Amino acid sequence: MNTFRIGWRNIWRNGKRTWITVVAIALNTAILIVSYALMQGMMVDMVDNATRMVVGDAQVHAPGYRLDQSMYKCIKEPEKIVDAARKAGIQAAARSYGFGLISSGSKSAGGIFWGVDPAAEQKSFELSKHMLIGEYLSAEPGKNVVLGQKLAKSLHADVGSEIVAVVQAADGSLGNELFTVCGILKVAGEKIDRGGAIIHRADFEELFVSGGRVHEIALNAWGKLSAEEVAGVASVAAGDDEVKTWKQLMPLLFEMVKMFDVAIFIFGLVFFLAAGLGVMNTMLMATYERIREFGIQKAMGSTPWRIMKDVSIEAFVMAVFSTLIGAAIGVAAGLYFQEYGINLEAMARETITFSGIAFDPLWRATLSGKIVMLPVFVMWIICVVAALYPAGKAARLNPVRAMTHV
Amino acid sequence: MEAIVQLEDVAKDYGQGDLTVHALRGVDLSIQKGDLAAVAGPSGSGKTTLLNVIGGLDTPSAGRVWVDGKEVTQMSRSKLSKLRLNRIGFVFQAYNLIPVLTAYENAEYVLMLQGMPAKERREKVMDLLKQVGLEGMDKRFPRELSGGQQQRVAIARAIAAQPALVLADEPTANVDSKTAAALLDLMVRLNEERQATFLFSTHDQNVMKRSKRLILLKDGMIDHNGKPENIEH
Ligand SMILES: Nc1ncnc2c1ncn2[C@@H]1O[C@H](COP(=O)(O)OP(=O)(O)OP(=O)(O)O)[C@@H](O)[C@H]1O
Ligand SMILES: [Mg+2]
Repeated sequence: MNTFRIGWRNIWRNGKRTWITVVAIALNTAILIVSYALMQGMMVDMVDNATRMVVGDAQVHAPGYRLDQSMYKCIKEPEKIVDAARKAGIQAAARSYGFGLISSGSKSAGGIFWGVDPAAEQKSFELSKHMLIGEYLSAEPGKNVVLGQKLAKSLHADVGSEIVAVVQAADGSLGNELFTVCGILKVAGEKIDRGGAIIHRADFEELFVSGGRVHEIALNAWGKLSAEEVAGVASVAAGDDEVKTWKQLMPLLFEMVKMFDVAIFIFGLVFFLAAGLGVMNTMLMATYERIREFGIQKAMGSTPWRIMKDVSIEAFVMAVFSTLIGAAIGVAAGLYFQEYGINLEAMARETITFSGIAFDPLWRATLSGKIVMLPVFVMWIICVVAALYPAGKAARLNPVRAMTHV
Repeated sequence: MEAIVQLEDVAKDYGQGDLTVHALRGVDLSIQKGDLAAVAGPSGSGKTTLLNVIGGLDTPSAGRVWVDGKEVTQMSRSKLSKLRLNRIGFVFQAYNLIPVLTAYENAEYVLMLQGMPAKERREKVMDLLKQVGLEGMDKRFPRELSGGQQQRVAIARAIAAQPALVLADEPTANVDSKTAAALLDLMVRLNEERQATFLFSTHDQNVMKRSKRLILLKDGMIDHNGKPENIEH
């Protein structure tokens, strides 16, 4: 005699009632899976957009550089770090930064010059493909510059415009140079939009007399490794230089990611509670109808524990059956949204940005084993816990009274 | 002969104050091993109460009860449920069987609770069903069996674990007289062949006559205790 099979027979004694409960649990499970997958999708998208655009999974800086952005605080052995990263299959881009004044015609504005290796940037990050107009820098130096969107606007600069850069060079002299605008970036975050002037690192060295100083190495594993793993690889080669993951570099974003988890938890709680109450009600009615039977079982020597177990298993069997249906629906819908997404373009014409991070207008779900199994497992626990009260009632019955119950 | 059941000045009251019902009063009784005893008496005379007290399903208000040499009136609830599981078989008037279990599974229930291995159970239960005349009906659910057949399953279940005592509260009340006679034949046979001790309550004259001993209850007291042929109605 198999307790699970008996449980299965018991739940179908009142088919209509059971179906109502099953459908309710299944729908709750499906909704939880889909909304969890969509939330996760948004989160992954948000983090990917933020990290893959320009920041990376992790970055290396000289100690203290992030506080004052001093030209003189540079990474000691940048080549060693880049080599170590590439050996581990991580893309790496070394960058130098310097402040300066940019003028175009009668307009001028302060900006941050980025000295980059265009080939490495193209391999490592998406910013180079994120052009509003024009093109990104070519592999060879040519006194070209890519401007952030707002900076270009305030300078009235266009592709082909000439700009003058005036900077304080590393040796104390005044550097100035003429650049041609080759491209303007799409919205890519406040910092770049307002002040970003990206130039070839050879041009940067000439302008700033920087002597090969590197201020930042941004590392991107394209999802093959976690941010912590990437940071771990870099740390080995970084020596005294500090390695930070995106979570430390963009604490606001990380807080938001954590908040998503809390949100889905609260959201889930409501659904779990609803399902739990449904199960409790069903099991209460089911046990009430069978008081006589429990009386007979107890008369024959069944222990309260045994009866608790039987009723709990019954609820568990119902939970497994319901969540199986729910998971099937949830996975099907989740896969659909993973493949086709929800198009938000109709709602917002422009690129959606949120605290400086650009969003993809196509909102896709991200499905994973955890996203399916977590709601399912929790639902099992909820169902069994909800059955404990009716089970306890059945177990405590006085056999004589139970048998005379009609 | 060895006493399987022993009652000493047992009383059972229900309710309180003026509304107190004295269901049993000062009952002294002993049932011997191998007995086939019938408890009879008018409705409300205390038959069910007596069987429940002996079976440890109900606790007496006064007096002492021994079953199989152990004092039931001193036992904890879990000890009582162990005693019922291992030493006492029960047959009730109606709706005895668990509807979601087949005849086989119902008969097997007590053995399963006892933790007997499935293979051993199988042999035993198949043999039992044959003995109670239900060969080939093992896969039927209670709703697919007649009232008499259901009671046979209940009897098979009650004797499956070879208890010291089988308590049956009006086992023939819900079946016609022919079926009642057949059920009694079965109990008589099991009593002889397997030395199963039966104590059952009944209203049926024909059933009473076939018992080895008749106990008559009246207002919660024993009115007669002896051979059934000595009683006239
Ligand atoms: N749980 C109870 N609460 C109060 N009174 C009860 C209870 N159970 C039984 N009684 C009373 O105790 C007396 C004996 O009842 P019992 O059920 O033992 O009689 P019985 O001989 O089995 O009757 P019947 O032939 O109708 O089954 C009756 O007066 C009955 O009303
Ligand atoms: Mg009765």
